[in-house]
Amino acid sequence: MTADLSRLLNAWGLVALDTVLVLAFADQLWFRDLPCPICILQRSGFIAAGFGLALNLTFGPRPSHYGLAIMGALVGGVISADQVLHYVVPGSGSYGNAIFGLHLYTWALISFVAILAGSSVMLLFDRQFQSALPLPPPMTPLPLSAVALLALLAVGNVASTLAICGVGLCPEVPGGYLIFYENLGLAFKSP
Amino acid sequence: MMSLPFVLFACGLGAAWTSRREAAMGFWVAGVLVLLVLFRFHATDVLNLGL
Repeated sequence: MTADLSRLLNAWGLVALDTVLVLAFADQLWFRDLPCPICILQRSGFIAAGFGLALNLTFGPRPSHYGLAIMGALVGGVISADQVLHYVVPGSGSYGNAIFGLHLYTWALISFVAILAGSSVMLLFDRQFQSALPLPPPMTPLPLSAVALLALLAVGNVASTLAICGVGLCPEVPGGYLIFYENLGLAFKSP
Repeated sequence: MMSLPFVLFACGLGAAWTSRREAAMGFWVAGVLVLLVLFRFHATDVLNLGL
């Protein structure tokens, strides 16, 4: 696998990961399904995993960048597995809306396992790491957009998390946007 | 507090954007460490499972 093909696959992988985070935002804003504290940590896990792919696109593919993606996905996977185990026993409830029959934390676990598998497979192709160029070529529009969107989603999550949790730890079951509730007396109630 | 990992990852992506790879990786490590600490604070319930 050439470095160019590796970059293309990393770009599509990052687009897929960005899409997960965009869908989480859509669920939060459109369906007013506020994320729980553990759900917010899972979003962080996605950004931690996507960070490795973003470094592959910015600096060229390196094993250490895949290492970051794998470790980010491991941390996120452990967090989502913890939440799945909380609700795995029938009758123990659930959190948030189900999409195609599975809750978001279950989809998150599946996605983290997919990132682990994808990054591990990518590490098998040594030729991508043997670039003759001292510096990686400038990014084309697809990788550039994917990295920029990841950065935008990280900043968006800063704003969203501050709005829901304020500056401290989050309430276990968020009832609204705390920052508005505390400062303006306004709050969205989750359905 | 809960937004801190996102802040660190955003700073890391900013560092990567400006070609500072080591700084980017440093922000990533800090972000993951904060993420693990926050998980420790929030994962307080005992799982009702027999393993």
